[in-house]
Amino acid sequence: MSKFRAADRFAASGSDWEMLPFRFHRTNGKVLLTNMVGEHLFISSDELERLCSGQLPKDGPLVRRLRAKHVIRQPEDAAALELLSLKVRTRYRRLPSFTSLHMFVVTLRCEHSCPYCQVSRQSSDQDRYDMSWETAQRALDLTFRSPSPQIKIEFQGGEPLLNFPLVTAVVEEAERRNLTEERDLMFVIASNLALLDDEILDFCGQHNVYISTSLDGPRDLHNKNRPRPGRNSWELATAGIRRVREVLGRDRVAALMTTTKASLDRPKDIIDTYVEHEFPEIFLRPLSPYGFAVKTKSFSAYDTDRWLSFYRTGLDYILELNHQGVDLCERYAAIMLKKILTNDDPGYVDLMSPAGIGIAALAYNYDGDVYASDEGRMLAEVNDHTFRLGNVHANSYEEIMLSDALLEPLEASFALSAPMCTDCAYEPYCGADPVYHHATTGDFVGRKPLSGFCRRNMAIAQMLLDRFENDSAARPILLDWASR
Amino acid sequence: VQNRDLTFDGGTSSIDAVQRALYRMSDRLSGDIRQADGGEIECTLVALGDEPIGDDLVFEFRNEVLDEVLRARIREETQEVRNLVLAVAFSKSGLIDTGEG
Repeated sequence: MSKFRAADRFAASGSDWEMLPFRFHRTNGKVLLTNMVGEHLFISSDELERLCSGQLPKDGPLVRRLRAKHVIRQPEDAAALELLSLKVRTRYRRLPSFTSLHMFVVTLRCEHSCPYCQVSRQSSDQDRYDMSWETAQRALDLTFRSPSPQIKIEFQGGEPLLNFPLVTAVVEEAERRNLTEERDLMFVIASNLALLDDEILDFCGQHNVYISTSLDGPRDLHNKNRPRPGRNSWELATAGIRRVREVLGRDRVAALMTTTKASLDRPKDIIDTYVEHEFPEIFLRPLSPYGFAVKTKSFSAYDTDRWLSFYRTGLDYILELNHQGVDLCERYAAIMLKKILTNDDPGYVDLMSPAGIGIAALAYNYDGDVYASDEGRMLAEVNDHTFRLGNVHANSYEEIMLSDALLEPLEASFALSAPMCTDCAYEPYCGADPVYHHATTGDFVGRKPLSGFCRRNMAIAQMLLDRFENDSAARPILLDWASR
Repeated sequence: VQNRDLTFDGGTSSIDAVQRALYRMSDRLSGDIRQADGGEIECTLVALGDEPIGDDLVFEFRNEVLDEVLRARIREETQEVRNLVLAVAFSKSGLIDTGEG
């Protein structure tokens, strides 16, 4: 007896097709369909009409494609529902074990004076802007209340190396507590590296601390974006990157860039800088509409379409470099491709629904105030305390995580119930960002036709789907990014 | 004249579909929607800028209403199975408070 059943065993038993939930969007003369978990296919307008009016044949290429993508099923086909449920559960698998990222703002002091920076202070007054040991201990209490098996503690500022004694104390105390907690514990220092020395590197080596730094592009652009005494931010950052690699290893330092008005005409220069410094990835980020960036008019300096043009040129160039053998990944594209091409959700704060605030990250400010995200604390710097969840000295974990300041924006912004998002074919690739919409429109949901967040993410998803479907040379590169 | 008056057949369109289409295009249009005594849906499109509303924009709006009618049909026909899939997906996740224990 054959081990395999004949092909007709799996054929449709009739032409009685039933639609499964899906959404559509017309683009470039085609119709994009996405199912409940974001699996996609393109069909024609005529085919959409036949699908919605129940005029599909018993079998054929279209029917097979729709069936494979869980857009239709036969009423008695329970396996389709079970598979779809499993994929939905996979997509939301991170929800029960929430809050893996805990940001400790150990000081607001910084020797840089970057105009786009949300929070830094030029001050020698340690008592006023440094986190105390008592505050750090209370923040650690809250950190280990999170059910997440992975805990990443990220030291931020200001410049966290200006309060390095507290960094060392927190790392050692967290390691001590973790002897019984047994979490997957990781430490990151977000630093401009200007103050890096051998003592700091020794400590990072002994305690497996990672470094995240800023690299805005070539020397002139970086130093213009990131002024400091001596006008040598780029020189210190690149020397620091080399030193970290020599002492700790190549993978121990990552870099982030911030796009300013001065960056917009120079995507290739910025990317070339990352290639020259042998980074395996670059994150082409938009400027955030928070804190000082709005106060100093940096945010209104350019609109979403100009940034999208910058991003498109950058993405094309990165793909071209990959064709030439350079292994460079664009991080935002990789995050979205994982959502487009797999059933996994990478848990990136800005592209989660329910939103990532509180669920993916918590920020403990130097003064003990707890914010739902780093952007939430940036808003507080311009006296908007909407996303302040409490204070480590005054509130319990339950009071913080069940506060209206967290639950209201989470509920209001949930994309599956937000106007237009609920019917948007790109919703599985996008997220809810109540902080962005609050900062730009004054409410947690925003009006989607006018939302820069919505426009940006739809355009990037369209770009990536277009390259994936129509560029056979780019396809394996994009698949590789999705798997990272 | 900045405004354009349109009428939709109340038997094939719905107020909800016209409202959703208007919201979707609210970066360029505003308007009023009302149901006439005979069941027709009357819609007055109002331009947001100084330019009058051209035929192209009206054509796009009418197509958007048609798409919203399709979306409503998909929602209606798949609502039950959507709820079933979500119920099965979250039934063992620990995220639903069953009130037990």
